[in-house]
Amino acid sequence: MSSLFDILLEKPLSDEWLKGLLFASFTLHMIFVLLTIGTAILSIYYFIHTWWGGKLGELRWDKEILRTFMAHKSLAVVLGVAALLLIQLGSSVPFFTGVNLLAPFWMLIIVFLVIAFLSFDALGHKIDVHHYLHLVFGIIALIFLLAVPAIFVAVLVTAENSDKWLTIIANGYQLGGPLAIHWLFRYLHVLGAAIVFGAAFHYFFSTREEIEKKKSILKWIVAGLLLQFILGIMLYSSLPEKPDYIINISLFVGVTAAAVLLWVIFTINKDSALNIKKVLPIVMLILVSMLLARQFIQDTTFVPIEKQLQVNAKAYQKELQPYHQEALNKYQSDINIVYDSGGTIYLKSCTFCHGENADGNGSEAKNLAIPPEDISAIRTTRPYLHKILVEGIPGSAMPYFTFFDRYKIEALINYLDSKYYVLSLPEPVPVKIPEAALQQAQKIFNETCFKCHGMDGRGSALSKGFQPPPPDFTLFSLSPERTFDVITKGYPGTVMPPFSNLPEDVRWGLVKIVNEKRKP
Amino acid sequence: MEFPIFQVPYLGNAMTIALDAVLHVIIGHGLAIGALTMVVISEYFGFKKSSRDWEIFAKEYLKFLIIIITGVGAVTGVGIWFITSALAPRGIGSLLRVFFWPWFIEWIVFTSEVVVILIYYFTWDKWTGERKKKHIYIGLSYIFFALTSAFLITGILGFMLTPDGWPWDESFWSAFFNPSFLPQLLLRISGSFALGAIFSVGFLFATSREAVFRKEALRFFGKVALFSFSAAVIFAWWYFSVIPSTFKTFAIFAVLRRFSQQPEIFYIITAISVFIFVLFVLSALRGSTFLSRVLIIPVLLISIGYVAEYEGVREFIRGPYIMPGYMYANQVLLKESPFLDQAGTLENSYWYGITTNSPNYINQGAYLFAQDCSMCHTIGGINDIKKRIKGRTEDGILVILNHTHEMVPFMPPFSGTDQERKIMAHFLYQLSNENIKLGEPSRFAPIKGGKDE
Repeated sequence: MSSLFDILLEKPLSDEWLKGLLFASFTLHMIFVLLTIGTAILSIYYFIHTWWGGKLGELRWDKEILRTFMAHKSLAVVLGVAALLLIQLGSSVPFFTGVNLLAPFWMLIIVFLVIAFLSFDALGHKIDVHHYLHLVFGIIALIFLLAVPAIFVAVLVTAENSDKWLTIIANGYQLGGPLAIHWLFRYLHVLGAAIVFGAAFHYFFSTREEIEKKKSILKWIVAGLLLQFILGIMLYSSLPEKPDYIINISLFVGVTAAAVLLWVIFTINKDSALNIKKVLPIVMLILVSMLLARQFIQDTTFVPIEKQLQVNAKAYQKELQPYHQEALNKYQSDINIVYDSGGTIYLKSCTFCHGENADGNGSEAKNLAIPPEDISAIRTTRPYLHKILVEGIPGSAMPYFTFFDRYKIEALINYLDSKYYVLSLPEPVPVKIPEAALQQAQKIFNETCFKCHGMDGRGSALSKGFQPPPPDFTLFSLSPERTFDVITKGYPGTVMPPFSNLPEDVRWGLVKIVNEKRKP
Repeated sequence: MEFPIFQVPYLGNAMTIALDAVLHVIIGHGLAIGALTMVVISEYFGFKKSSRDWEIFAKEYLKFLIIIITGVGAVTGVGIWFITSALAPRGIGSLLRVFFWPWFIEWIVFTSEVVVILIYYFTWDKWTGERKKKHIYIGLSYIFFALTSAFLITGILGFMLTPDGWPWDESFWSAFFNPSFLPQLLLRISGSFALGAIFSVGFLFATSREAVFRKEALRFFGKVALFSFSAAVIFAWWYFSVIPSTFKTFAIFAVLRRFSQQPEIFYIITAISVFIFVLFVLSALRGSTFLSRVLIIPVLLISIGYVAEYEGVREFIRGPYIMPGYMYANQVLLKESPFLDQAGTLENSYWYGITTNSPNYINQGAYLFAQDCSMCHTIGGINDIKKRIKGRTEDGILVILNHTHEMVPFMPPFSGTDQERKIMAHFLYQLSNENIKLGEPSRFAPIKGGKDE
């Protein structure tokens, strides 16, 4: 695990503070998450209930419930920000790894939330749509909404079980086996809590003291609580690690509070209502103790790993220290270079192959089978050079430079022209060539060279697929000396063979023939 | 690296973040700041002029806005963070450690913003008459929180471009109040108001209104658009003048990409769009509902285009860094790169080590690509590496790998030993010649199921 280490920068707060703040913000977040989900489930249920002739009449109670969705979901989102910030700071590696291993699902949360929120808000505001449409819309929104906690729970389960990361990868980046069972119960437990909290909220705030509604929704609270007992037992038995006493104490408090809540519900009179002053503290006690247990369970795996990761981070930091100053100096010099003049562009982007003197002897030249061209010998046209620069030369190392806009490419061409006259016509052949040699050269061109270069020097059908292709002699030539050099030695790494066996005069004759094909 | 790697197939990691971010900025700036400010002003007009038209317009507009802002704006904002958590964990994790306090305060501000907008929305019908004034104050306090939120985020965004002294002194204050902070903040705010005015005209035409009121409102929003757009132009000029030229010099390429050799396109499109915009503003100022109605859709698209262009250029001219002076765009630290050149990238990668039994050039190359290149390049999608190196020889690819940062200054250097560079070059060469088929492009393919297959 030595190459697994915490993020190298210092944490802004101590681990204790981070954990404390995380608990507080997560609790706030969860209150509204549970209300959001509970509200969504209840509103869809009561829509169906009303529609199928339920006793609650024409009031469209589902709308009343759904009206609160806007506030719940908005607060759930914003309050989640702090929890996300704190867990990413405090438990960077386990959390980000959990996120990353389930990355596609994690990123889909955004899409799911947008679909669910827009749909529910549309249902809540666009008061009357057709029943079937409303139902379909609502159910789709509910499915997307319910998928979100499923993903969050899966990410947390992954983050907390670092010993199972390899198994998860081997399983195709999915939870499997006991972990999947644990995930399922944990997820269902969240939904159960959402039903209890959502129902409790609407019992007090959406029933307008109508006893029929209160009775109806009380059933949800009771059913939710009973479901939570069963799911809780299953979740407890599926925990990957045996919980220690502090976890058990928190759970005991939560379970007892839940039992007290049931007792309170079952002891109220038939026609009276629950008292919010009695219920609220109990409900909050359940939430806080359960979330405390959750945090303790998480910490039993996170804390030892984080300690190790911080030790590893220190060691890695130490290994990198010798490079620190060097890196800063390089950064300083890098940001002082602006690629806006032909000279700079040449120096930075071309020199390592073509050399400081543009003679093709850059530091990397020796590593290339096809040597970089001696730019100082190039005699070509502006469009042809531009084409080479923006298309590269296929079959060679020469890349294309379209990341330089045309102004920069033009500046580079101007620079090369001012320094090496690359846009001039080739100079006349510096030696006198006897007529016979010239004739022999012409014969050789007509019999041999034309096969690739074409009679007109623009390439032949044969050489069309060559990589790199021969240049177009009507637009591109080299200085006579360099042309002579290429004819004599060939062009390494390409199809162009050496013709050193030809008499020198004849080779100069070929230079003349080739360079005369060049048009101004 | 200490994190596993995920590559978004086809779209690529950078584009995934960009799409979400642009949507968020349009809503966050245009609606949450700009349009909401227009709502509060409209409500004030309704109150002051005792105009039911303004009052109803404001109320209906708010209803529409709050759904989009809380349903899409807030979610895509958190979405930028979600996506970067999955794709660039080391980058976002490090930024969080430097900017914990602004981030934390931003959370408090963001929460207040939401609470206030909910109060504003739910009390609209209840706080009438004498209490109307109070209600308008609630709207104003929302605008205050929204602007504070922009203030906090701008510090972080500015840092990523102009870190000032941070790389040397690692001091929070120089990072936050960096040279581009103020011009960027003013640019964002004025841009928000311009966008808000344009969206308001859109809403004005999309709903049925009294003709007289429509003309009056059109004139008002036209004035706001003209004033704030002009301010935005000035602030944009100020902003770009404080950005160092190192990467700013690539701004034209950042906009034009494959059309980089026809830079005229940039000027022509800008001229046309400004012309349409000016025409629209003039017609709005004159109260010409016909011309404004015709132009509103193009103007909306142009505004969205401007936002995308600005954010695209801003991201691009950050150069090869996520955190300048500290971390490259591929999440390798500046001081780590020379270390990895000697010690080896694969050797120091936890995830490569534990998931690979029998190393070969394909899984090694695929991993090196994932770590060093996949933040910007894809295999077979946007910014396809196969297209980028098509036609190069293997030795040519190797040479380019050794000089990425020099040759293309906005590319980070490749980090790895000579041997790893050779492996990478061979892998890329085979890849570009279609000799390798990848099993699972989203992971450090072709590793599937954790072990080689």
